[in-house]
Amino acid sequence: MDPLTNNSIDVGPNREAQRAERLAAIERALLTHPGVREAAVIQMSGNHVAAFVVPDSKFIDNDLGRAAAGSAIVGKWRKIFDLSQLSKQANSASVGFNTMGWDSSYTRGAIPDEEMHEWVENTVGDILRLKPRFLCEIGCGTGMLVMRVAPHCERYVAVDQSPAVLGRLREQLRTAPDVAARVEVVESQAAQLDRFSENTFDTLVLSSVVQFFPNVDYLSKVLENAINIVRPGGHVYVGDVRSLPLFRLFATSVELFQSADQLSAAELRERIRRRVDREPELVLSPAFFLSLPRRFPKVSRVDIRPLRGRADNEMTRFRYEAILHVGHDNAPVFDSEFLDWAERRWGLDEIRSMLRLHPSQAIGIKGIRNARIEKDLAAMAILDGTDAGFTAGELRKKSEQSANKGIHAQALFDLENEDQGFAVFLSWVACRNDGTFDAFFIPKQNLQGSTFPAINWPAPDASAFLHHANAPGQGKMRNDLTNRLMELCKQNLPQDSVPREIILVDSLEHTS
Amino acid sequence: MKGRAEIHEFVQGLLTASGDDGPLADSDSLLFSGRLQSIDAVEIVVFLEENFGIDFAQVGFDKEQIDSVDAICTLTETVTKSN
Repeated sequence: MDPLTNNSIDVGPNREAQRAERLAAIERALLTHPGVREAAVIQMSGNHVAAFVVPDSKFIDNDLGRAAAGSAIVGKWRKIFDLSQLSKQANSASVGFNTMGWDSSYTRGAIPDEEMHEWVENTVGDILRLKPRFLCEIGCGTGMLVMRVAPHCERYVAVDQSPAVLGRLREQLRTAPDVAARVEVVESQAAQLDRFSENTFDTLVLSSVVQFFPNVDYLSKVLENAINIVRPGGHVYVGDVRSLPLFRLFATSVELFQSADQLSAAELRERIRRRVDREPELVLSPAFFLSLPRRFPKVSRVDIRPLRGRADNEMTRFRYEAILHVGHDNAPVFDSEFLDWAERRWGLDEIRSMLRLHPSQAIGIKGIRNARIEKDLAAMAILDGTDAGFTAGELRKKSEQSANKGIHAQALFDLENEDQGFAVFLSWVACRNDGTFDAFFIPKQNLQGSTFPAINWPAPDASAFLHHANAPGQGKMRNDLTNRLMELCKQNLPQDSVPREIILVDSLEHTS
Repeated sequence: MKGRAEIHEFVQGLLTASGDDGPLADSDSLLFSGRLQSIDAVEIVVFLEENFGIDFAQVGFDKEQIDSVDAICTLTETVTKSN
């Protein structure tokens, strides 16, 4: 009661109930639209509300035209890969090393051969650790992996949609009859895996290919089929995936590299924004893969790992591999507490000493600063932190000065080859947008022969699950949907309940 | 037979569609400069196949061939003469 008037005051539970009912009414209004699969509305500062909406896939595909646009994109990429094999260089490429189309975003020229050699050998190593015998590779290209991995398999099904690319692969197989005897070449789109029976393979590989898929729902369908044809105990390996948490950092890195010294910070910011908006490839959050066990129970767990490699390029900096474990295995489980790198900022030598001091103990360290991208992070922080006038040249100098405090991922992998007797595992499960990674060191005798122990990695924040991917080429149709939803709210809700903004997201399942 | 003006207009349209409203000189680099992306190159290739009868499977393909309006005109002239 109000002591002055003896009237009841609208506080506490009543006001909270009214607020909850108001938000629920907005959600109900949004859910009447066929383009909305899920909706959640939150109170912002003041009386404003924001709505998070998961669009209905079928509505976007059929009513807004995403399916037709997606088919066109798949066709365009096929033509690009066909064209890549019509050059003089493609004619003279050596067996198992046709890198046509592998161009650097930084230089726009070919990625140097030595960097491509390192990438392919590391990728092969990661796939062979899965111990494949019956392998299907989707998007096999000209066979960089086929020629190296197939000799270790009983059967290798190589699938690609580009006839010209497969022509090159067949040429190479003719020079290696022992490999050819194990390989079946199939011309098909990635989405048409239903030609294979359930549990046909123990390993399915999608390496450096999902970025050419038109949208995340297309990828989901491909993975659903992929998981179906992999037998329990097997794996789906998705390699060279472009990272959504690091996407803006990637754009900053590339645009700063390409900028003339005199370019203003304002123009640089605009170029970064344009690069992100115009990105034609699919860029994915690890959170997308981490959500798969909920959707496909055949997937028991997921590993997300930064790439191995000493080379300093866009693959080692901004890409990762996702390994889906199909069915349950007998891998040993490790759920130790993780030490926080930020509290002590250990260097490589200190980590080495720690391992020597505790030779029989599994040790986890979370949040390790990533030396590969320190300069880029410093540049982005400066760009985001001030509107002061400076040039790209000045920004490059400043970002150089703040580097060299982190650890290179490959330096940690290299600890495996020293005499401490530890196996090293690195993870980007936590989905942090500063690229910090987590490490887990396991005495080799504790592994019980397992290549992939089940490590309880630090989990991502719930907000990481909101956005699974970018939406290449869908800006106009997504704007169209939010405009329609805003109009619907204006027509059906009191003025003060109309959301200030409607944000399209991929999932709300971790936010409740 | 179409010519330089049509090629220039087509490329200008591609640039506009990708948000680039800047001026276009016939010698300007399109792909190596980053003004157009690899996926845009397909539009140029299809345009040349449909309007100039160029068969890239026959003549081969390198990005340099379509990296500027000048380069595209050289390609169309070369192919036309050889036919």
